[in-house]
Amino acid sequence: MTDPSDIIVGIDLGTTNSLVAYADEAGPHLIAGPGGPDDVLLPSVIGFDDQGRVRTLGREARAHAVERPLTTVYSVKRLMGKGCAELTDEARHLSYRVGPHPATGERDVAAVLIGAQAFTPPELSALILRELKERAERHFGRPVQRAVITVPAQFDDAQRQATRDAGVIAGLDVVRIVNEPTAAALAYGLQRRERATVAVYDLGGGTFDISILRLEGGVFEVKATNGDTHLGGDDFDRTLIDLFIQEIRAEFDVDLNVPTIRQQLRTLSEQIKMRLSDQESAPVEIALGRGRVYRRTLTRDEFEGLITPLVERTIAACGRALAAGRLTPADIDQVVLVGGSTRVPLVRRRVAEVFGRSPYTALNPEQVVALGAAMQGAILAGVQQDMLLLDVTPLSLGIETLGGAMSKLIPANMRVPCQATETFTTFQDGQVNVRINVLQGERELAKDCRSLGVFDLSGIPPMPAGIPKIEVTFLIDQNGILNVSAREQRSGKIASVQIVPSHGLTRDEVRRMARESVQFARQDMAAHHLIDVRTTLQFDLNKAEQMLRRFGHLLETPERERLAADLAELRALAETCADPAVLNGRRERFNQSTVRLAELAVAASLREDSAAT
Amino acid sequence: MGFGRTSQAAGEFLMTDDARTVPTRCTECEAHLDFPMVCTGCRQLYPVPESVDYFTLLGLDRRYDLDEEQLHGVCLGLARYIHPDRFAEAPEEVRRLATRLSAEVNNAVAVLLDPVRRASYLLDLAGGPTAGQERGVPGELLREVLVLREQITEAKERHDEAELERLRATIGSQREENLRRIAPLAEGACAADAGHRRELRLRLNAMKYWDNLLAESTPDPLAPATPKP
Repeated sequence: MTDPSDIIVGIDLGTTNSLVAYADEAGPHLIAGPGGPDDVLLPSVIGFDDQGRVRTLGREARAHAVERPLTTVYSVKRLMGKGCAELTDEARHLSYRVGPHPATGERDVAAVLIGAQAFTPPELSALILRELKERAERHFGRPVQRAVITVPAQFDDAQRQATRDAGVIAGLDVVRIVNEPTAAALAYGLQRRERATVAVYDLGGGTFDISILRLEGGVFEVKATNGDTHLGGDDFDRTLIDLFIQEIRAEFDVDLNVPTIRQQLRTLSEQIKMRLSDQESAPVEIALGRGRVYRRTLTRDEFEGLITPLVERTIAACGRALAAGRLTPADIDQVVLVGGSTRVPLVRRRVAEVFGRSPYTALNPEQVVALGAAMQGAILAGVQQDMLLLDVTPLSLGIETLGGAMSKLIPANMRVPCQATETFTTFQDGQVNVRINVLQGERELAKDCRSLGVFDLSGIPPMPAGIPKIEVTFLIDQNGILNVSAREQRSGKIASVQIVPSHGLTRDEVRRMARESVQFARQDMAAHHLIDVRTTLQFDLNKAEQMLRRFGHLLETPERERLAADLAELRALAETCADPAVLNGRRERFNQSTVRLAELAVAASLREDSAAT
Repeated sequence: MGFGRTSQAAGEFLMTDDARTVPTRCTECEAHLDFPMVCTGCRQLYPVPESVDYFTLLGLDRRYDLDEEQLHGVCLGLARYIHPDRFAEAPEEVRRLATRLSAEVNNAVAVLLDPVRRASYLLDLAGGPTAGQERGVPGELLREVLVLREQITEAKERHDEAELERLRATIGSQREENLRRIAPLAEGACAADAGHRRELRLRLNAMKYWDNLLAESTPDPLAPATPKP
């Protein structure tokens, strides 16, 4: 049997929903939440109060998204590892506020602003991760420390780092970052062991990946990957939101492009999109106040017309992945669909056309990534010995050279781990440090690529210009994360590499957030829970007090006096006791003792009513 | 566990060209080492000196003619023993060694699987000239490239897809022809005289021009598909 203290859980940290799973010798299993065995999806939604304290998470937070648009945070994954400047377009679609983080100095780090508080995307993702960690701990009845977390294959270094930071802040040891389509292939490959070339088409809430793998004898070898980190079901919803806003403006001259209403439209559009997966048309009705109602019927054809450009972007990426793997559609033995957005009929149809075969749909597209992540956890823990994932780096890595060009050091689709070595020198006599701008992307110019950060090589012994030879090794590890080391060749000194991430957090910041957030979030959640319990108790007490005042004379004296005494005692307890379990227990017992009074009260009211008429 | 210097000091060694040492027998279980970086018997890892060439690293003959399927098989087989995921529960330094060795093997496989890079690598092993030392190209190439480039530009201006297609085919077959000529030169590089080795380098340098022409005559797949956010 697996020793649960050694368990490595698999986590699918999704744009829309997140899941946690584990695997044993028998295979992978999802871990359910408090709602019962089917409660496996945790909506990636966090509800704050106006002061920036966490109120609710998951389903409950999502349920209040419409009434609390400014303090309900969703789709955090789209913000991971990004700077504010890159998010201006994204922020337009979000009902909550996104702005520069006040405490990260010159770096361009985006934050979600709630009241006077600023939260970095890793901190927000950590709240989701912690909830999943606790679900796993409840399941096993002991602490769970280690996790495999999945990311879109197209995530760059900054986005992967941000995901790992989120894990650390949540108190997890992130033993591996795994690409989502690769994890899905692992879950798929469990069911069939023969040699095959498989395309995994993964269209989630916010990201799209296409990965092509060769499966053979338990080895899952990624041949090529392509995709778009800003393309998913959210974008399908946005086409509908924009359509409704535009039509309502034309018909009623009402501008709905404000956060509060966008949130309502978002929920509505999501529902319509889902209905159009099963039905040919769906009715739309939006009350605009003062008797004005926007009404129309949206057909599947219209919806497909709106999303065609988006779907075609995924198809173009499929073509690029095939080309990179030197493959044609005929080489693909199976197409596996992953992600909730692959339920959209147009997506299925186009994928079938492009690959010339119907996609494999026997796996639940929303669960398969978590199951694969759990399998990878089992591989790492030594539970599954006969399987191995071999992945590639999704993007080319390079450095900025004189004149602003991107000099490629490691090409995209290179098997990881991999490394490149480059020698640098100094331009001035006695120069003791060299700065390198490290880039990721496929474009020729540095400005069109993404800067991962400036690497500051220091500790170079002072020598005349051009004499030092600083050998810098860029190593991309199996997680797709960059590690840089440097050595001055002539002196043999190891130069220190200080990384200033362009959009990420420093190691110290992550450590501090890990310390603070664990305490604060617990306190926040506990404090809110207590407030909720007290409010409910006081509500029940008020109700009982009113009944006692109006109908207490119907009870025998001892019972009336006992109720009055209990009531007074509970009033005091509500102020002094801070244990929600005790308060809840007492409230329930008290409510049972007032049942007879309530019955008498109802009977008396009915008599009063009939007497009045 | 015997990592680093200790394992090298006790093992049996194979002398490579530059007289550096590579272990041939495992210090832990005494099995013969098929690969210098790992014992496939007991999974003991060995740091490999940088001087070990890619062919020795992968247990292949130092030849240009190479069975891609065989190399692919070697690469998957090795991954089963040295991939860092196999050492997730091992001490940090072992995991680091597994990562470094895997990176070296993956780099070696990438170079040897590519015919042009493989030929260039063999030429470097044979004593060059390296790409840095000899930047020239075969005599007629530059004129040929100039003409083709003009034709591409004109065809693009006219949006003449058929002409572009024809040019792509021409360039493709020229590229293939050059590669065919590279093969025997690369196969004999180790024993070749300076004149033949220089000719090989010139032809290798020419490949870049053919690749660039192919790219120029092919519509850029990235341009419309990845607008910056």
